[in-house]
Amino acid sequence: MKKLSLAALGLAGAMLLAAPAHAHFMMTYTPETALEKAADLDFRIVFTHPAEAGHMMDMGGVKEFYALHQRGDGEAKKIDFKSLLKEVTWKNPDSSAPAFSALIPRKELRSMGDYMFVMVPGYYYEKEEDVYMQQITKLLVNVGGIPGNWNMPAGLPCEIVPLAKPYGLWTGNVFQGQVLSNGKPVAGAEVEVEYMSHAPDLKKNALSPKSSVNYPNGVMVTQAIMTDANGVFTFGLPKAGWWGFAALGVGPDKKHDGKELSQDAVIWVQAVDMK
Amino acid sequence: MFKIFAGLALIASVALPGGAYAHSAIFDCFDNGDGTISCQGGYSDGSSASGVSIKVKDAKGRIIEELKLDSNSEVSFKKPAGDYKVMFDGGEGHSIEVDGKKIVQ
Repeated sequence: MKKLSLAALGLAGAMLLAAPAHAHFMMTYTPETALEKAADLDFRIVFTHPAEAGHMMDMGGVKEFYALHQRGDGEAKKIDFKSLLKEVTWKNPDSSAPAFSALIPRKELRSMGDYMFVMVPGYYYEKEEDVYMQQITKLLVNVGGIPGNWNMPAGLPCEIVPLAKPYGLWTGNVFQGQVLSNGKPVAGAEVEVEYMSHAPDLKKNALSPKSSVNYPNGVMVTQAIMTDANGVFTFGLPKAGWWGFAALGVGPDKKHDGKELSQDAVIWVQAVDMK
Repeated sequence: MFKIFAGLALIASVALPGGAYAHSAIFDCFDNGDGTISCQGGYSDGSSASGVSIKVKDAKGRIIEELKLDSNSEVSFKKPAGDYKVMFDGGEGHSIEVDGKKIVQ
């Protein structure tokens, strides 16, 4: 009896984990976010489920890919990297889809300061729910240790503005962000959180089949936190590595091609162990 | 006293690498490849280094040029012919010298 129920529980658990999760996460990834000096930055832009190396999705191309560079209180400068994008096929263990790579040469990053990378994808059609999704994604990289515009809005339709330096986080720190839609704070927004438990392999263009986390159930795969009256959320980072935050449906665009659109704001931060 | 990173960036002696001390000076130069050198200064808390004196010295330590960082905390100058050093003169505990040999494209 006991054996049976345990087996049933196990099966239910497996089904939960195997079921298509709702945490679609746009990944704009490069291995390091705090560089002591300029280096070539190898980027991948992938639409997947990073906690489970799960289903891959076609993001519908990339509309914009650029960085807003600022050092100290100097002038912010926009550097367009869209021309560096190359289409690749990203292969997770059970799924593959078109994704993009970009190798940004060191010369573009030799000026010290913050580089706020912004990626605006096309539209992904979610057949099951008959809706479109667009996840506008930010990633902050610092060169040389002089901060710049990390805590400034990029002026996107929707975005998460970091209130904690996103490339300077220890494991156990909190990450705090403010969700904006058309520049205004969004109170009561749901922010989904996932850990990139499968390491990206940039040579193979794949997430590793091996997970660094044993999830006890599906609930723990995608966590959720709500923004307060000022649009702010605060989330502790329990493990070194990459954490993704997605504020769902906060963007001003609600329709695309006559169908419902979820325009989401995504940001990725990297936590580092204190050794 | 300086922590020298693999490349060019130097952090003044008051700061430990990656440390959280406010206001440590940071200074870096690169060769533009057209016979000019550009340098950038700043502080770890993001405050401006605009107006800070930059001294270009020859192999014997003599000042061959004295400049000031512009409103964007940057300065460019003609690459000296021989060995040279560039000094960010931020005052006590905030001065940094970069060896021209370490200034690359």
